[in-house]
Amino acid sequence: MDADKQNANPTILSLSDLPSRRRESNVRRRDDGGTGLFDDLIPQYSYLNDPFEQPLSSSDSDDGSVEDIDEQEVFDLISSISDPEHPLSLGSLAVVNLPDIHILPPSSPYSSISTVVVEITPTITHCSLATVIGLGVRVRLEQALPPRFRVDVRIKKGTHSTDEAVNKQLGDKERVAAALENGTLMGVLRKMLSTCE
Amino acid sequence: MSDTQQFLLDYDRNKREASQVAQKSATRLADGDLKLLTLIEELGEYFNSEDGAIRAKAMAYLAEVLGFVPQKVLSLQQRNLLCDFVLSRTEDSEGIGSCAKALLTLEERGKWDSGKVQDIMETLLANTSPLRQYKQQSERYPLLRLIDALLAKYRDALRTLHDSKPDFLSRFIAYFDGEKDPRNLMVVFSILRVPMTEWNIGADAQDLFDAVFNYFPITFRPPPDDPYGITAQDLKDRLRECISSTSDFAPYAFPTLLDKLDSTSMNTKRDVLQTITTSVREYGPRTVSLYSITLWDALKFEILNVQEEDLAEESLEGLAAIAQTLSKGTSGPLNAYLRPIIKECNEHLEDAPTKQSQAAARILSKLANVSPHVTNLLLAGILPTMLTLFQAADSMGKRRGLLEVLVQLIKANTDVYGDWRSTGSAGAAPPNNALVEFRDQALEVMLHGLETSPINNVSYRLVCVDGLVQLSKVRQLLSEEDIAKVIQLLHAIIIHEESFGKDEVKESAIKSLVEIAHQKPQVVVDKAFPAFMSQLPDKDDGSRGYETVLEAFAKLASEEKVFDTVILRLKNKFSAAVTSDASSGYIVALLSAMLYALTKGSSKLEQDPNTSTYYQDIVLPLLKRISSTDSSHPKTFDEETTLDLVGRISNIVIRSQSTEQQEGITSELYTLFRGTPQAGLPPFNISAPSDAHKTMIVSTHLLASLHKETRLPCEIELLVSSLANYTQHPDLSMRVRSASLRQLSLAINKFYSTTALKTCMDPLMNAPFELFSSEKLDPPRIRVIFSCLKGILLRSSPILAKLYPHLLDFLSHPKYGSAIAHGFSTLLQPDDLLTKQNHCQISGLHKQKTFALLVPNITQAFREASPETKPNYLIALAGVLRWIPFDMIIEEVPTLITLLLQSLDLKGEDFVKEAAIGTLTSTLLEKPEVVQEHAGSLISRLLATSVANKEAPTPPRVRAAACRCLMLVPEKLKLEVVLPYRRQVCRKLTAALDDGKREVRSAAVRCRAKWLEVDEAGDDD
Repeated sequence: MDADKQNANPTILSLSDLPSRRRESNVRRRDDGGTGLFDDLIPQYSYLNDPFEQPLSSSDSDDGSVEDIDEQEVFDLISSISDPEHPLSLGSLAVVNLPDIHILPPSSPYSSISTVVVEITPTITHCSLATVIGLGVRVRLEQALPPRFRVDVRIKKGTHSTDEAVNKQLGDKERVAAALENGTLMGVLRKMLSTCE
Repeated sequence: MSDTQQFLLDYDRNKREASQVAQKSATRLADGDLKLLTLIEELGEYFNSEDGAIRAKAMAYLAEVLGFVPQKVLSLQQRNLLCDFVLSRTEDSEGIGSCAKALLTLEERGKWDSGKVQDIMETLLANTSPLRQYKQQSERYPLLRLIDALLAKYRDALRTLHDSKPDFLSRFIAYFDGEKDPRNLMVVFSILRVPMTEWNIGADAQDLFDAVFNYFPITFRPPPDDPYGITAQDLKDRLRECISSTSDFAPYAFPTLLDKLDSTSMNTKRDVLQTITTSVREYGPRTVSLYSITLWDALKFEILNVQEEDLAEESLEGLAAIAQTLSKGTSGPLNAYLRPIIKECNEHLEDAPTKQSQAAARILSKLANVSPHVTNLLLAGILPTMLTLFQAADSMGKRRGLLEVLVQLIKANTDVYGDWRSTGSAGAAPPNNALVEFRDQALEVMLHGLETSPINNVSYRLVCVDGLVQLSKVRQLLSEEDIAKVIQLLHAIIIHEESFGKDEVKESAIKSLVEIAHQKPQVVVDKAFPAFMSQLPDKDDGSRGYETVLEAFAKLASEEKVFDTVILRLKNKFSAAVTSDASSGYIVALLSAMLYALTKGSSKLEQDPNTSTYYQDIVLPLLKRISSTDSSHPKTFDEETTLDLVGRISNIVIRSQSTEQQEGITSELYTLFRGTPQAGLPPFNISAPSDAHKTMIVSTHLLASLHKETRLPCEIELLVSSLANYTQHPDLSMRVRSASLRQLSLAINKFYSTTALKTCMDPLMNAPFELFSSEKLDPPRIRVIFSCLKGILLRSSPILAKLYPHLLDFLSHPKYGSAIAHGFSTLLQPDDLLTKQNHCQISGLHKQKTFALLVPNITQAFREASPETKPNYLIALAGVLRWIPFDMIIEEVPTLITLLLQSLDLKGEDFVKEAAIGTLTSTLLEKPEVVQEHAGSLISRLLATSVANKEAPTPPRVRAAACRCLMLVPEKLKLEVVLPYRRQVCRKLTAALDDGKREVRSAAVRCRAKWLEVDEAGDDD
């Protein structure tokens, strides 16, 4: 049972150390330094309790501003994928890392195609499951990103003994398509993606 | 025909009639009409028959007759004779079940002596062994019942038999060999448990063990609608009791169990682990000491390499059970058991934080919980290494990993030794705590870690905070000076540290301070309170730095022990601020903090309303400040928000007072210590000076706090009609108007008697007011209508049946139909003043009542309504459904579903759409079959709603809700219904994947993932 695990004892990051959107400074800072603890003491809705005052709260996330798809969002999409060996997420195993995700804007003003580059770091350099993990990330992103994104998943340089060979495999459209026809492999991928949120 | 013949005839035809025959014979026997001898003689002929079936039936007859004979009819001699006779019949294998039944009934009619019992037992073993020769379960079962009864009632006789005959036990064990029926097995297990626990089994131990262990693991699955109701769990439990019944089994049990632990079946493993745990608890320290290390070596794998979480839990349970059992013996074996554990855990800690170091922490904390002795041994074995590793650690990650283990150990220590307020599992006088030896070092490490590590080291600092709190909690561990150091560090973080990220450390520091206040209130009051107070100036300098401090300080009020002190300090600070003419913002912040603190401690206020002096000390001075004109009246008291705060503070304090105490305030309800007559003030005088209107906000909160028995300052009828007139005054500010309307609801809800309530609306409905006149309808009147109804509907008054139709009629009103429709959502909307705490009369069934009176009528009227007014009905429906729990609606859903779907087509009514999606979501979750036939229109409407659309924009919240609802469709509806839509949904949802809002995108991603799986699931079939 244990012998066939390639890395039986990986290092685990604490969840509160993983990058997340909430921790960034774009959380609306109150200018007075408070956290808004007292804001709800007088409930908002009691003054909307009137058929003639159309509720205003629909404006709370009003469409005026556009939130672009950024690296953090890509990270959130793939960090919850499970490792095929452990019941742990790729994020907490540091297989996917925020700094290794890049979104490249369209190459010319006439094109609308952006590219997402994800570099993954296998937990050990000879991990034969690196291809499967790469494939999982790729499938997830192709399912979850709008079609104007091209997905490029590769092994981070120097983190794997055969990174170039694996990258070739992951970059080859036809081989990827062929792999997805394989029932056993799809089974593994489905299990990996089942923890995605 | 004789009874015997009749019985034999009926037996195959109709069992019930045969029984009646037997009962007749029994009655004749009891009445003396039939001699026992005659009966036996008559039977003799059949017992000698060549035909086995006839012999069996004859025995069945005898058994049944004996069963019907009342107690005390048969003499001892007769019983003995019968017993010998029946026993002699056991040589015949036909009718063996009936023999056993006959013997059981004889036993019930008179106790046997030991000789008889031994004789029966031996005869059974000689004539009927092995049991498996009888093919019918119904033959074997009575025999097992008989033996079970013998073992239950004649233990000594059978035990003597065992002691006197060396081969008895092996014959006894062999007797049950090969039993397969679950009903019989239940009895076999309970029979065999007697020799296991009570007899000296010596050389037969292995046979006895095998006799039950052959059935391990139980894989029995009861047939559908099994009439006997025996579950696999029943069998498992009995079997486990057998295996754990005697330590003589240990040499056989542990090796075989551990062997089966390698099984690939999770169920088997679960069974093995549970059996090990139970056995370890029962076998006693001497036996367990022989296997403790073997068991550790096997069990640890389940924890270090978790396959299933519950298996790991069970293994931990097993390890703890070993320690527990060993603790009952001498200390040698316990040490020998813990030594390899300590060694291995220390090794895992070396490369923390890894999966295995986390597992080691689980093992240690589970074991540390066992007893003070174990805790101390573990602490002495682990902490020195850990602290050395900590000092030598090269990364923060490693230090965090190590501290996490330490925190777990401290928590376990608290469980054993208790905290400052309660004793732990070790009782009031526990042995010395080994943690004492390490406390200074541990404290030093964590204090230093928290103080010096950079603020972006969130997870590390969080562990430090957690560890320090845990350390402060351990009973009689830290001195007050040391706890003061912890407190000082915590309040320094709260007050002085700059904000970072989500401020998790600050938040955790506040929570920790509250936790310590629970343990050591005085130390917190002495050390932290002055620090907080020094940050709160009497007169602020314009900056708002006090806000964080005030928030943290107010949170401390949630700890009962310091609640009073928090309130007192805030009150004093407020007076000082007013005196020194501080800014309005500061005064409002202080009032807010006070209100927050009171809300947190309101349960304490309710417990002792009499001893509280808050009314005299806080409420009265505040109310008097409102009307005073000198310097005690701060400028901000002219603002409506401030008055609302003052009102709410007064409300919390007054509502917990008794009716008598409340009488003091009622006369000032509207005058508020102004010294002017009530009649000249609002709501009685509409033309009062403009600044007098604002205080209606305070009056509303005061009215809300009164018991319904408290006397009002005027007649209720006068109050209601004055309010109804007053609220229509066009110059009122929104807050004042809203407060006055709520007063109207409160007055009607609380102060009318049940009978008066039925006619309370009459003065308003009649001329000259004519509230429900269609011609006079205007916005102010609509508000009055809804406010009155809100007060009434909470009481579920029957008058609603007369009032609601007026409201429903207005839905087709040409001018105000839409306004009325929107008003429906205010009817059941929760209100923070109309509550039980405010002594309102709230019937438990009010929602059902309103639902039943409104919804069927709305759906009915919708069908007949003109196209222009149809939306009004949909809006009204959504407004009602929005506040009703789904299980109340569930029966009506089939009639509502088309209306809900049409609501999704409305333009611009976002709340209506959201409510409709909410109800559809609940329907999918609870009653998906209703939606099945509307799948197509549901899917297309949800898709349309989920995609941002320029012509009919829906807010992102609604788009996301539509995605979430659509996600449930493939999960809840049948595959064949959903499959045709898969392509369409996946294609259209790509638009939502590119939505401008993150919230919508993430819902769309999840939804689409579910739909993509649809055909994959189809492949498997």
